[in-house]
Amino acid sequence: MELLAIFISAILINNFVLHYFLGICPFLGVSKKIDSAVSMGLAVTFVMTITAVVSWIINHWILIPKKLEYLQIVSFILVIASLVQLVEMFIRKASPPLYQALGIYLPLITTNCAIMGLALLAVLKEYKFLETVIFGFGSGIGFTLAIVLMAGIREQLELADVPEPLKGAGISLIVAGIMALAFTGFSGMIK
Amino acid sequence: MATKSISAEFTKGFWDENPVFRQLLGMCPTLAVTTAVINGIAMGLATSFVLIFSSLVVSSIKKIIPSQVRIASYIVIIATFVTMADRFLAAFFPPISKNLGPYVPLIVVNCIILGRQEAFSSKNSIGRSLIDALGMSCGFILALLLLSSIRELLGSGGILGHQILGSWFKPWIIMILPAGAFLTLGLLLGLALFIESKTKPGR
Amino acid sequence: MNLSARMIIVLTSVGLISGSFLTGVDLLTRSRIEANRQREIKDAITRVVPGTETSNIVYEEKSFTIYEGKDKSGQRAGFALYTSGTGFQDKITLMIGTDESFSTLNRLFILEQKETPGLGAKITEWDEFLRFWENRDCSQSLSLRNPPADSPDDLSYSEVNTITGATISSEAVLDIVNFSIEKAKTLHKEGKI
Repeated sequence: MELLAIFISAILINNFVLHYFLGICPFLGVSKKIDSAVSMGLAVTFVMTITAVVSWIINHWILIPKKLEYLQIVSFILVIASLVQLVEMFIRKASPPLYQALGIYLPLITTNCAIMGLALLAVLKEYKFLETVIFGFGSGIGFTLAIVLMAGIREQLELADVPEPLKGAGISLIVAGIMALAFTGFSGMIK
Repeated sequence: MATKSISAEFTKGFWDENPVFRQLLGMCPTLAVTTAVINGIAMGLATSFVLIFSSLVVSSIKKIIPSQVRIASYIVIIATFVTMADRFLAAFFPPISKNLGPYVPLIVVNCIILGRQEAFSSKNSIGRSLIDALGMSCGFILALLLLSSIRELLGSGGILGHQILGSWFKPWIIMILPAGAFLTLGLLLGLALFIESKTKPGR
Repeated sequence: MNLSARMIIVLTSVGLISGSFLTGVDLLTRSRIEANRQREIKDAITRVVPGTETSNIVYEEKSFTIYEGKDKSGQRAGFALYTSGTGFQDKITLMIGTDESFSTLNRLFILEQKETPGLGAKITEWDEFLRFWENRDCSQSLSLRNPPADSPDDLSYSEVNTITGATISSEAVLDIVNFSIEKAKTLHKEGKI
């Protein structure tokens, strides 16, 4: 029950993009087409779930027992950067079709604040191991949901007559604002 | 590379290359912490501290770092200063540290900082890098101030806790919610482009 | 010097210098950060258990701690329950002050919340919410008055007020309080406190 609550809350209520403002760069950058948005979402979900596992292990097996919590930021960012590289190399060897689909998005993920945000938030929320994993997976799904919805809207916006200065980032942010407003409707769903 | 005058190097961050409005960098903290002016200022100062010191260190050791490992080294340097800022806030300004929550550690992935190291400090002298970092910091603080003033004024009727609008004013709660952040920044970006197109005809 | 050796040396030294720097920063700030946290808890206990001079932990588990408040003469002034639960948006952390038998709720104090500003966030305000939580009879579960009463005197002793427009936040706080007091009573009966 607790796990389900964390899962739903990560997707809908505390959505990474629309509530925590994490991962805005890819959210604005890779949301022009639904196909690429889906791939980006999957890549992020994949990396987030692994990051959740690895960062938990580092934090609870190394940093906390040795009282080195102050090295959290340094170690998380290094681990994430090397993790993304490893995942990229692994996928390229293991599954070329998957690499075709996700490949170009993986390097973009290293500097994605959503991944780092996930590791830090899981620490802040004092989640246990399984909770952290569910939180990571759910947050990835939440990110995917937001970016795919955004891509769907932007495909339609192509045909709309948007005022010149608002074209591009401006109108995307306004659309994101309306989406965020809609998502506040989910608040209080789990209490 | 064409050498700009020192003052141009400093002021370019204010408008022409403003990190938020023109380069669309560092959006996460810009949106997340601007619910109140005090948070915006704290975030701006923390980011500036990290940016300025990282630029100083990177520009002074740029020659010894092999280019293959430069990004990794930059990240470690940046993360070190971020941790210092985070611990300092937690020790001396606990309420602000609580308000900003995970967004102080997240300065480490703020694209403005890594972007300036890669684009500027790794190629320029210490002095120029310092000027560049100062200018960019001012531009970032300016953007945060603008956004947080609008949001706090409309969202609570005052600024820095001082009531400005009279009792007739009913606070727009949406401005403090995430939706208000997106809408305000979207409209400001539009406004920035509009001003740009009016002042620089022919583009 | 060949390239890979240089790469390793540079990365290692950057790492070492950064590590030692941060160890220094940690030494300088750790005690202060810990003291800040302690002071926050202590302030909250003094607020919810009037007359407290010193306090000590009598029961502790993950995000649920019971403090015993003692007055000047070292007599037990009451208990403070540090607890948390899910609110409208995110976690709400609060401190509940009760008497020695967990049957009267002295006061409530909200330590952390991320409810909607202007609506649910009123749970932190004395006038809007907290004054309706003073001296409640919690020998049975408390209940919410909705629509809300204008003054605490209009409520029965086991009732607390709802915030207009933020029913869910009010209910969330009520649930956390009822659950925590019930838990404390059970622990008390089992002789663990």
